[in-house]
Amino acid sequence: MSENGAASPGDDPSDQFIGGDNDEGPRVEFYGGRGMSAFPIAFFIVWAIVQTALWRIGDTGGLIVGILVGLILGMFFVRGNWKTYANTIFEGMTQPVAVTAIVAWIWAGMFAQLLQDGGFVGGLVWLADAAGVGATLFPAITFVLAAVFTTGIGTGYGASVAFVGLFFPAGILLGANPVLLFGAILSGAIFGDNLAPVSDTTIVSAVTQDADIGGVVASRFKYIIIAAVVAFTGYIVAGSAMDGLEISGEAQAVFLESSEAIGLVHVIPMLAVIGAAVAGRHIVEAISWGIVIAIAFNLIFGLASLGDIVMFNAPSDAPFAGPLEFLPVLTIVESSDVGVTGSLMSGVAGFFELSILVLLIIGAAQIMIRGGAFEVLLDWSLENLATNVRNAELTMVATAALINSIITINTAAEVAIGPYISKIGERFNLNGYRRANILDGQTAAMGYIFPWSGGVLAGYGAMQTLPEQYEWLDQSMLVTPIDVVPFVFQGWLLVAVFVIAALTGFGREYITDRETEEVARV
Amino acid sequence: MSLFDKYLAGWRLRTSRPSFEVGSEIDIFIAESNGTSGRAYVGDTELVVEGAGPETIEKQVRVRVTEFDETTASGRGEFVEVVGESSYAE
Repeated sequence: MSENGAASPGDDPSDQFIGGDNDEGPRVEFYGGRGMSAFPIAFFIVWAIVQTALWRIGDTGGLIVGILVGLILGMFFVRGNWKTYANTIFEGMTQPVAVTAIVAWIWAGMFAQLLQDGGFVGGLVWLADAAGVGATLFPAITFVLAAVFTTGIGTGYGASVAFVGLFFPAGILLGANPVLLFGAILSGAIFGDNLAPVSDTTIVSAVTQDADIGGVVASRFKYIIIAAVVAFTGYIVAGSAMDGLEISGEAQAVFLESSEAIGLVHVIPMLAVIGAAVAGRHIVEAISWGIVIAIAFNLIFGLASLGDIVMFNAPSDAPFAGPLEFLPVLTIVESSDVGVTGSLMSGVAGFFELSILVLLIIGAAQIMIRGGAFEVLLDWSLENLATNVRNAELTMVATAALINSIITINTAAEVAIGPYISKIGERFNLNGYRRANILDGQTAAMGYIFPWSGGVLAGYGAMQTLPEQYEWLDQSMLVTPIDVVPFVFQGWLLVAVFVIAALTGFGREYITDRETEEVARV
Repeated sequence: MSLFDKYLAGWRLRTSRPSFEVGSEIDIFIAESNGTSGRAYVGDTELVVEGAGPETIEKQVRVRVTEFDETTASGRGEFVEVVGESSYAE
């Protein structure tokens, strides 16, 4: 390992120091050298770019096929026994980091859906209207509300979909610029994805850097709020400078049609989850409380019925379906409609494919680690880029941003790059909070900027259904994803804040300053 | 540390060359080893840790600081014990 750039004590045998590439464990050797062990991941990245960027297909299932094909083809480059290669995939997939994230997504997914089905977004719209928000302020206010919403529910993709569905048409009606509006929604999703204790990326960043979630959230607040204050100002300035579309004045009523104040009651379960998570309760416990309270509120205030929450749709020939049909959670349907539906089901269902994809990517990442490509990359970065702590942090920012701007699903990218950030950061004894914050800042930002980013695809997908729902809204009023890139202010500003933080030492904490608390809470 | 303090932590420009007091004990990751002593970086501060062999590389160890020169941000310490693993111990 090369000598570090800083001054060294004069009398130590520095040229004889060697680095830590002597990990035990099975090795997988490849024809073509250690770099070839990156083949499955590299193949997947190319597949993801072709599928999502060139052909605009944001289908997680397709990405699963991509990583599977990559893993199969990679096997043919293995020198010696293929069994080790197969076992290494299993070794990667069974790491606690993957399972922890998946458990949290499933819980968070159910919670988010209960809030959405309970009219929470409608309540927020009602509040914006009651406060008399006009065209100039609308994008800035949308940014704040999307940020609050995402911080509560933890899923930026869900927030993008929900806010494009409700705030986008409302904003266009009010005369706000559609591109700016979409940018504001994505910016809010970035804010929440980055800060929320129940966010998948927050959880992955904390777990991969051995840090507690409450401490991570508290320590990253400073970076996020600085970016957010500038972004908020930016949306006000741009809101007054950029014109909206000409809409016939018929339909302001549409704005309020679906909006009721009662949905705001869901601020309480949201706060309960945030409070419990920040106070250090187990994330499963925290979100479970949110789920229980949200279900209770939905039922008590008539926001959703028991059948909306969970419904068994049984075929007419099922032996016990007929006699029990009086149950509020059972209904007899045509054989083509058989299944279980409701908020809990649809909340969980959104994460099935992503869970499998992430497990496979971690399997492929383990091949890269055991095969040595990870070491090649790490050694090269340490020797050529991370020559001192400032450059090390800049390297962490740049690599995390690069990987996340390439891989569509930002959580998957974060899982792949997590070990690398951990290794570089630990070398300079940066504490877990700082490492997790550098990692997740770029992860959240880059997941919502480019046309192939998961957040943009989710929002754009929701947008395309709008012309069917509103007569006055046609295809030409929709935003082309490439146009929104410069207007995702929170994303660009967050990256800028971390570049400045690396250069100046703002927010930097060493392990000797403060150790992270036990991660076992997760 | 209280919840409020956690939000206030880190609102400052932290030096790239932190100092340590002679006699203090710190828990840090060892980056490299020459077989008998190890080297650790805390930011750009370098510490040579006597007694930290190759088995301590990328492990968190307790170090008693025995010498420290603030002008060169470098010093020496004694290995006490291994106290932790890397986040990604394989």
